This record gives sequence, C-alpha cells and structure tokens, in this order.
Amino acid sequence: MLSRKFIYIILVIVILALLPLVVRNPYYIHLFIMVGINAILAMTFILMLRTGLICLGIAAFWGIGAYASAMLSMKLGLPVWLSLPAAAVITAIIAAFIGAFLVKQGGFGFIIQTLAFGFIIVLIFGTFQVFGGYVGIVGISHPEPIPIPFVGSMTFTSISKMPFYYLMLFLALLMVLILTAFYSSTAGRAWRAIGLSAHLAESLGMNLFNYRLLAFIIASTIAGLMGSFFAHYFGTLVPGSFGPFKTINVHVYAILGGINFPILGPVIGSLIMTLVPEFLRITEGVEPIFTGIIMILLVLFLPDGLLGLTRLWQRRGKPSENTSHHMN
Amino acid sequence: MSILIQLIVDGLAMGLVYVLLASGFNLIIGISRILFIAYGEFYMLGAWIIWSLMIPLKVPFFFALIAATIAPAILGAIVYQVIFRYIQFKEQQFLTNIVAAMGLMMLMSQATLFIVGTESRGIPSVIRGMVNVGGIRISYEKVMLIGLTLGVIIGLHLLLQRTKIGRAMRAVSFNPDVAALQAVNANLVYLGTMAVGCALAGFAGGVMAPVFAVSPKMGGVTLLIILVVMLGGVGSMPGAILSGLILGQILSFGQYFLESGVAQIIFFAAIAIILYFKPGGLSGQAQQISLQ
Amino acid sequence: MLEAIKLTKYFGGLAAVNELNLIVNQNEILGLIGPNGAGKTTFFNVVSGFFPPTSGRVLFEGRDISQLEAHDIAHRGISRTFQASTLFMKLSVLDNVFTGYHMSYRTGFLKRVLHTPLARKEEEGFKQKALETLKFMGMASLKDELAANLPHGYQRTLGIAMALATNPKLLLLDEPATGMNLNEKKAVIDLIRRIRDMGITIILVEHDMKVVMDLCDRIIVLNFGQKIAEGLPEEIKSNREVVEAYLGKEESKNAA
Repeated sequence: MLSRKFIYIILVIVILALLPLVVRNPYYIHLFIMVGINAILAMTFILMLRTGLICLGIAAFWGIGAYASAMLSMKLGLPVWLSLPAAAVITAIIAAFIGAFLVKQGGFGFIIQTLAFGFIIVLIFGTFQVFGGYVGIVGISHPEPIPIPFVGSMTFTSISKMPFYYLMLFLALLMVLILTAFYSSTAGRAWRAIGLSAHLAESLGMNLFNYRLLAFIIASTIAGLMGSFFAHYFGTLVPGSFGPFKTINVHVYAILGGINFPILGPVIGSLIMTLVPEFLRITEGVEPIFTGIIMILLVLFLPDGLLGLTRLWQRRGKPSENTSHHMN
Repeated sequence: MSILIQLIVDGLAMGLVYVLLASGFNLIIGISRILFIAYGEFYMLGAWIIWSLMIPLKVPFFFALIAATIAPAILGAIVYQVIFRYIQFKEQQFLTNIVAAMGLMMLMSQATLFIVGTESRGIPSVIRGMVNVGGIRISYEKVMLIGLTLGVIIGLHLLLQRTKIGRAMRAVSFNPDVAALQAVNANLVYLGTMAVGCALAGFAGGVMAPVFAVSPKMGGVTLLIILVVMLGGVGSMPGAILSGLILGQILSFGQYFLESGVAQIIFFAAIAIILYFKPGGLSGQAQQISLQ
Repeated sequence: MLEAIKLTKYFGGLAAVNELNLIVNQNEILGLIGPNGAGKTTFFNVVSGFFPPTSGRVLFEGRDISQLEAHDIAHRGISRTFQASTLFMKLSVLDNVFTGYHMSYRTGFLKRVLHTPLARKEEEGFKQKALETLKFMGMASLKDELAANLPHGYQRTLGIAMALATNPKLLLLDEPATGMNLNEKKAVIDLIRRIRDMGITIILVEHDMKVVMDLCDRIIVLNFGQKIAEGLPEEIKSNREVVEAYLGKEESKNAA
C-alpha cells in the first residue's frame, strides 16, 4: 500500500543518495554534510522547544559527544565504529543526570542554566589539558573501512568526502526515523499537549517532569551522536566551536524553517543558512553580522518561519464551516 | 595582612561593578521580561566610548563618563523601539526576545571587532597617586571607582523606591495588566527600563575602563552577570548586591592564588551547588521575577 | 468519598482557605458557592494538586492525597475543569478529547513508540471513544473544528468532555455555566445530570443560583475561606448568614 507521502519520501531519499554523484566538488559535499548535521541539531532544539524547554546550550551536548568519541578512540584505542555508539551512550548518561537537575528548575531556570552550561562546557574543554586545551584535539582517526558486499570496501579518507556523506545521510535518516516514531506516539502527543498548555496536560495525568526530561535526553543524545560523527569526520576539535555561537546558529536554522515543523523546518533553515552565505561570498568575519541581522529580521517579520507562511496560505483558503454560535 | 586588605579592596571594586551590571540586567529581565543577552555589549560600548573620547579627543574623564552613560542608554532605547517593542506583546514572547537579543549580541560584538580590531587598549590613570589607609596603599582610582559605583547604586535604589517612575516600574514588573488599569503606560516603562539598564551598563564600562584594560571581548561579561543574577535570585535587587560582591571577592582572591581559568570554574561549581540546594538563589526568588 | 480536614492554604499573609472541613459523598452533586474570593477555586486547586496545602489534609477514598502532584491526583481519579477556557487551542476538538485518554493506555511505552499493531489498535480504539464522548455531549459535528474557533459555550463543554475522557471518579467543575445563554445552560444542566447518572461524583462551583438550586443535592457555602453554611438547597436559600455574605460584599463594594 503505497501512499503518496511514502512515494515522496522515497523520492527524496533517492535524490539525496544520488547527490554526491552529481555534485562532484568535495567542497560542496562538505557543505551538504554540514547541512545535514546542522539540520539534525536544529531538530533537537525543536524537540525540546515543543515541551516548553528553551535550550540555550545545544552545542554543549554536541561537543560532549564529539569529545567523548575522540577520547575513546584516541586515548582508549577503541575502533571508531565502537566509539561512535559508545559516545552516544555516554552523552545520554550525562544528559540524564544534568537534565534531571536542569528540568527541575522550571522553565526560566532551565533557560538560564542551559546558557551557563553551554559556556561552562567550553571552559572545561579549554582549561583541562586532557581535552587538549584551547588548541583542541587534532588528528582524530577516521572510521575504519567498511566492507560492502560485491563492491569492495568503503574507505574513509580526508580526501574523498563521499563515504562521509553517506554515513551522515544514514545517521540523519535514522535520527529522523526515531524522532518521527516518538512524535507520532503518545509521547509526542504528550509533548505537544505540555507545550500548548502545561496545566491542562497535568490535569489529564501527564507527568511534566518525566516527559520534559525524556525530550531533553533524546535531544541531547541525538546531538551527541552527531557530535561524535563530526569528530571523526572533521578530524579536529576546537573548544570554541562548541560554544554559544554554535547554539545560536542552530536556533536560527530552526526558526528560519519554522518551529512548528519539527522535521522539515530545520532542513530548510539549515539549507538556506549554510548555502546562502556561500553564494553571497560572506567571509568568516562577516558571518556573525549576517546571522545577527537575519535573526532580528526573522523575529520581527517572520516569527513562524518560512514554512509558517504556507500555513497562512492554507488558512486563507478554508473558511470555517460552523457559523452558528449557539447550541441547539 | 596588607595583601589581604588589598585583595579585599580589589574585590570590592570589582564586586561593585558587578552589582551595577547585575542590577541593570535584573531591571530588564524583571520588568520587561527580556533575557537581554546583548547586555555585555553595552558595557563594552561604555568602555570604548571612554577610550575614544579620552585618548584621541582628550576629553576629560567626567565628561567622557557622562557620554559613556548616555550613549548606551540612547542606543538601548532605540533598540527597544525598533525591535523589542513589536515582540513584547505577541505570543512566544520569551523565545523571540531571546533570539532578538542574541542576534543583537552577535551584531554588536562582531561590529566592534571590525571597528576597533582585536587589540586591547589601555587608558592612562585618571587620578594618579595612592592614598595611604592605615599602612595600606590603595590607588585613588580604585577609591573613585568604589565611590562612584556606590553612589549610582544608591541612586538606583532611590529611583526605584521613592519616585513615581520607580513605582511605575515596580508595578509593571508585578502585573502589567493591573498596572495598565492604573494608567501606567507599559510600553513607556519598558522603554525607560531598557534605557536605564543600558545606562548602568555603559556607566559600569566607563568606570572600569581606567582601572582595567579596554578590550573588544568585554561583551563576554554577560555570562558572568547572568550567573551573578542566578545566584542572587533573578529579579532580586538585594540578591544582586550580595552575589555581585561575592563574585568580586572570589575573583580577586582566585586570580591571586590560582590560575585564572580555575577560579572561574570554582565559581561556577559553587553556584551550581548553591542552586541545587536553593533553586531560587540566595534570596530564594527565581520564579517570581519581581523587584523586591 | 472526599474529605477535607482543617484544610488551610496561605498565599503570602492571606488565608485563601482557612481550616476548612468538608465532606463529599459518593455520587452526589455538591454545590460550592460563595462570593468572589471566598476560596472556591483555591479549594479546587489544592484538591487537584496544583497547590500544596499549607496545613490540613485531603482524603480521597480514605487515602491522604494532600501532598500528591497534579498528575498523580489525575491518576487517582479526580479530574477538573478550569475557570478560563483552558483548552489545547491549536488542536481540533477531536484531538482535544483524544488527549484526555492519555492515562488510559494499557500497552507499554516502548510498544507505543515502536507502533506495534497492538498499540495502534488501542490508539484507534481511543479515537473511537473520543468520538463517542463527543456524541454524548452533542458535539460530534464539530470534531474537526479548531478549539480556538469554537464559540464560548462549546469551549466550556469541550473542557468537560476532556475531563470526562479521563474516566474520573470525582469531577470538579469550575463555573461550567458562565457566559452561557438560557438554552446552553439547560443543556449543561442536562449534561451534568447525565454525568452523575454514570456514577461520577461531582463538585460544582457556580455563580448562577438557578443552576445551583436545580442541580445540587447539597450545597456548601464558603466565605473568606471558611464554611459558613451547609445543607439542602431550600435551607440555604433562606439562610440569613448566606444572604448577608453576598449582600455584605455588595455593600462593601458600594462603600469603596
């Protein structure tokens, strides 16, 4: 039974899979890899936002996953394919403990303390030499080659980005699958309910703390997993790249796409914000200014994001059918 | 012994500046409910105004200080009128305020880097000489710093408690709807709050500039201020005073005895522990967000 | 069924509920009336777990629920409606009621996330039940309408529908008839009677005296957080203290 939606999805996946064969330039493939990572990070932000948690420290868990995987593979000598999931597990455990503390603080306390947490993580990575200090970690190993039946093996080198692209695609699709599964289950409905009216949700028996903590842990673990991928892809980790600037960028991706669209919004937002500066030839120095202006414009003129415009379109088309105002 | 007093005085000087900054930040978050992440940039603006008026233009310190207080206030008011005013009364207000503030921060911080470069500058002493207090030598500059900041803090307290404007501000922080019934124009209050808050930041930057160096990275103080505010209890003025002073002392002693990074981590750890046991901060008031 | 023992709730220096002793009997409709600020909504908030009491206890079916949180109390079988229209405004009417069945799921959490056939069947079942509840309330035709678009009267009954979906033993109705015209009020009265016939106990806070007299088996009158009268509707009607309590509020309003 193939519904239209299913066909669209398959089509999109095929296009994404064929992309690197069409776009041969490794620099562009790198961009698309970053688009993928950023999109997933933005999705985790929206996940937490749905339940009423505004997380200002997403980059922190991204960084925890990255550093964890780097340390595991370099200091403990674990093969990369083992350190990737292990790093995700470590991130999940840390998220569980820290999350319990943060979520308990209530909405406002959560916001401020995730902000502080974001700063503190950078400080920790930078201060202690075991993490390489402010210079960071260099030369992180790439994943070991995977044997593919009939084709040979797929090696991960720094030169050809294609295998990394496919790995990223695989991880991203997996994350989207997991997120969708949760969103369409009672957990997802509970998150939505809590975000719309926490009091009402509580009176219907939903444990706010548990659901919020769940969202936090899932979001942070996914961010951590993408972080560990990033570590083995990029090869170098610098503490500064895991700080508030990164978190702010993630926010922009989410809001530009539209925070009411948990999967599609981040993809669009991330795509635009990663590719547009390239086309406009915006240098690294100017980029924060560009981002800052976009943020202010977004918030003033387009708070529902680009996809939010489509909703406006829909609403204009359908007049309400119920015109009587009293019960019979 | 004299080193001890020296450190305490240093801590007092720094602490009072943090009290100023924390108070301004508390005003903005307590009354306008804006988590003003760009606040540190106005502090930096004040410092740079002092530098650019005093060094190339040879403006005397006190006039420069006045400019350093007023210019950020005007900029803050403009920013409010152009940006935040439209967000204040819509839904998802808290998130959009934060995003706007973050955008502003990125803009201002990067723009500053472009304009002044990455180097720190120094300002020659405004008042030379040291005063001798019971065998301990304290620079006149530090005394002036302490005196000025104390004066402004007291002035702020009087403004909030004794004047009509102050009462209007406190009314709006409690309950904007009820305040509106009493003919308090909420928008005007928000505008004024932003102006006053930014003025405090600019003044703090201006007063700090001669004593410490002026750097384009000064905006980073925002994090410290947020922690101070958290420690004291968000929105609580007495809490801000207490925790600002504490931070001053910790930094002063910490920088002397330990590596600088470690001192900060200790401060953070201490805050985390205190907040674990007292989520409302020292004054016990995180969620209320009211100016008491 | 429900018993409040010396229940007290202070806000700052003010006692909104002051040493209140109250008993609610099984399957009765108890009316809770009193002037504004008498403590009725605070009482609801404490019983339903949104505020912890300052002192005193609340017993439900013999067990102490005073320190339980709101969601636990919902699981115990107490549901409530809210004074202002508290609904999931961005969801459809059907989705609103459907959310009410949240507590009733039997399949395990993991199975629900994995969307096993069993879980999906249960979900379909609750969607059906939600539809039936809407039919019971006479709102089935509105099922796809956005909650925010409903006229006020329907919003109130939607709130009741959601509370019903939780399969409560005790239902706290906070001013269900407010803002309704005569026909709507008649429908609500009929609805509440039918709810009671299902075996549910009801506490009703309401300002419209006709509704109260018509529906309630028993009435308790509160003023300044304390019980000033208790009895059958006819007794309360002619109770001098009650009249004074209401009139007294009028007089002090005129004097101010």
